[in-house]
Amino acid sequence: MTIIKESAPHIRSKASVTRMMVDVLIALAPTLIFAFVVYPLKMLAFYLLSLFIMIGSEFIYVGLRNMMPNDGKKHSFKERFIYAYKGKFRLENVLTAAITAVIYTLIMPAGAPIYAFVIGALAGIIFGKLVFGGLGSNIFNPAAVGMLFAKICFGGSYPPKYVDTWYFAQPDVSAGPSPLSGSADSSLVNFVNNMGEYSPLDMVLGRIPGTLGEVYKITIIVGLIYLLIRRSADYRIVLSYLGTFTVLALVGGLSIYALDKNVNPFMFTLYNLLSGGVLFGAVFMLTDPVTSPINPPSRYLYGMVAAVSTIFIRFFAALPEGVGFSILIANMVACVLDHYEWSSSKYTWKKFLAMGLLIVIPALVTFLAIYFGGVYNGK
Amino acid sequence: MIVKTAKIKDTKNLVGRLPAIRFTEPKYIYLAMDNARCPKAELYIKEGDHVNECQVIGMRHGPFFEQPIHATCSGTFVGLEKHFHRNGKLTDFIKIENDFLDTLDSSVKTRTQEEIDALTKEDMTQILKDCASVGLGGSSFPTYIKFQTDKPINLILINGIECEPYITADHRIMLEYPYRIVNAIKYVMHAFKCPHAKICIKSKYKDIKEVYTQVLKEFEGSGIELCCVGNFYPQGWEVAMIKSATGIQLKPGELPTNRGILNLNVSTMVGLYKSIKYNMPVIKRDITITGDGIKYPKNFRVRVGTSVKELLEICGGYKHPEKDKVFILGGPMMGVSVPSDDVIITKTVTSVIVLDKTDYVENPCVRCGSCVLSCPVHLEPVQIMNAVKTLDKERIKKLEPLRCIECGLCTYTCTSKIQVTDYIRKAKMIAKL
Repeated sequence: MTIIKESAPHIRSKASVTRMMVDVLIALAPTLIFAFVVYPLKMLAFYLLSLFIMIGSEFIYVGLRNMMPNDGKKHSFKERFIYAYKGKFRLENVLTAAITAVIYTLIMPAGAPIYAFVIGALAGIIFGKLVFGGLGSNIFNPAAVGMLFAKICFGGSYPPKYVDTWYFAQPDVSAGPSPLSGSADSSLVNFVNNMGEYSPLDMVLGRIPGTLGEVYKITIIVGLIYLLIRRSADYRIVLSYLGTFTVLALVGGLSIYALDKNVNPFMFTLYNLLSGGVLFGAVFMLTDPVTSPINPPSRYLYGMVAAVSTIFIRFFAALPEGVGFSILIANMVACVLDHYEWSSSKYTWKKFLAMGLLIVIPALVTFLAIYFGGVYNGK
Repeated sequence: MIVKTAKIKDTKNLVGRLPAIRFTEPKYIYLAMDNARCPKAELYIKEGDHVNECQVIGMRHGPFFEQPIHATCSGTFVGLEKHFHRNGKLTDFIKIENDFLDTLDSSVKTRTQEEIDALTKEDMTQILKDCASVGLGGSSFPTYIKFQTDKPINLILINGIECEPYITADHRIMLEYPYRIVNAIKYVMHAFKCPHAKICIKSKYKDIKEVYTQVLKEFEGSGIELCCVGNFYPQGWEVAMIKSATGIQLKPGELPTNRGILNLNVSTMVGLYKSIKYNMPVIKRDITITGDGIKYPKNFRVRVGTSVKELLEICGGYKHPEKDKVFILGGPMMGVSVPSDDVIITKTVTSVIVLDKTDYVENPCVRCGSCVLSCPVHLEPVQIMNAVKTLDKERIKKLEPLRCIECGLCTYTCTSKIQVTDYIRKAKMIAKL
């Protein structure tokens, strides 16, 4: 027995990064399992492929980063291998890659060709994460980077976002685009036109065209509840994102209602919340602690920035979806929010002012653009 | 876990219900020549001299004040020996061989109630100065300096919270000496002409609450009341205690006396009672010996200057002697770890905790923000850590690490098991340059 000197404190809590990562995987499990049931073979192939790519990239990266320095002597491959990996490639490296793989698989369209899927996965893990220094150092959400990379590079050659399954089959091919698919018309007009096609129940159950995983709202909400009970995700981000999104969507809905009395503004808000990746992105991608700001007031602001950019992209840009891009924009803003000049865990009147302005100005812009700007010129 | 950590598993059930064992007759007594606040000292006696209990045998000199050294037993001065002090340094100790006679020094005298009633604040300050009364909660801040304030005091807060896990010494002292504590509070209230006093305890200590409800019935109308505050850590920090007990939020660096509040620890009150009633310095104190590495954890009442090794033998020695240990003086959150068990109980040692050494695997920071949420002074430990890593002095200063109270919560709560508190200590050094 020896007595060892160490610095205070001498006891630690039980919380660990491993536990948080396993929690995220458990929260993702219902959605993943449901997607497996709906698209058995294709899903399995995609999932294993992305798992292989992500963990493999992480493995190679750890090896390259911890390469044995040249000391003039010859070492066998085994020695070099042990030097590079012993104690450095741990459970955490596998878990973080696995989370990225699951999220990436779930946000990719079911109709994506295999080469687009592979290249997107590689781009996501390498440009989204490893170039910044691996776990804990990345600025952008790797899954979102991979998905958008594939979308931008191969968007033209994509088949439709969905494929027919036993769970959901497109009722009529000529029925028109999905609630959130782009067309020559303004995306807002399209959206309103398509609201009649699906009932709210269909939206909740996921009987709508969409990606492999993000359409099953019930399983996502189960995951959210689990994450919040286990405190592995910050409720502030989810709350401010969904809250701001709802308020702005309602403003949009009311502005459309002022022009066109056939549109129910509350239904419009509900459809906006339930369509696309809003819920999935809020629960599993925005809450990633690595890419979100550190202190509570900044986390509220971060969620609001993401919500405002989602609304602006959806209503006014040519892109129909916008959650992926808004997550990347919010990730960039997170670095600014963390700057030491104003970063503080105290709630000051300036921060409340910023929060207020982040709701009032976008609401005003939304209203003016829709009512006077002619963004909504349908019917 | 992205969560504000405020409650720590307190592990007080190891010893909380055990009475304090009297171990007041050690063979040798060791008294520190210097301490953290007084780096120099002179001796008034030479080898072979006989000393009486409570006799002044030396004087410690510090930059702001002087502190007499009192013998805590009667016997013969043998010489100087090196042992570990509470601050973790190897220090010279005065070794006195106990003659078990307890011959009291002539300076010890009993004051009658009339004499005590006649004492003014200045008299009391002088008594406390002569008796070297210091804060026994661990700070070793001289009590008489607190008494020298010119500001009017209208509330005295007695800190019996003991928010650190494992330690139960204050708990035992509150249960066993309620009359000394309440009488000492009355003396201080009388000297300051202060109408109110509150004894602050954690609301979960039902046993203390019962004892003081009974005792305070005898002292009705004296203005002393019991105040149950929160169970969280660091509730015992004076700013948190004042906030919970009175609702006043002190500004960083502001002294409680500015708001008319004087706060004292319960152990200090027991010492203060002896000083005022019998003109005696603190010669005995309660300590807790506990932890996973101790066979039979116990509470003790010992003479100041007892060697911990003797107490460890009474506790049955170490459990799992094959495992490496961490030897802590003070609480596990803020206490000092010493590299040897050759330690002497000084006035400010509240506990000895022996833990099995655990090695934690450090992961990269995932910016979960738990340290920011938990910090009681609203700093951002993780930002300070990143600034220290890049040695950016301007950024470190802007993040105000000097406000840190080193409570250790950031390390405790860290999900990646990073020693964040160490980085803050470095930041403090850099910020002071």
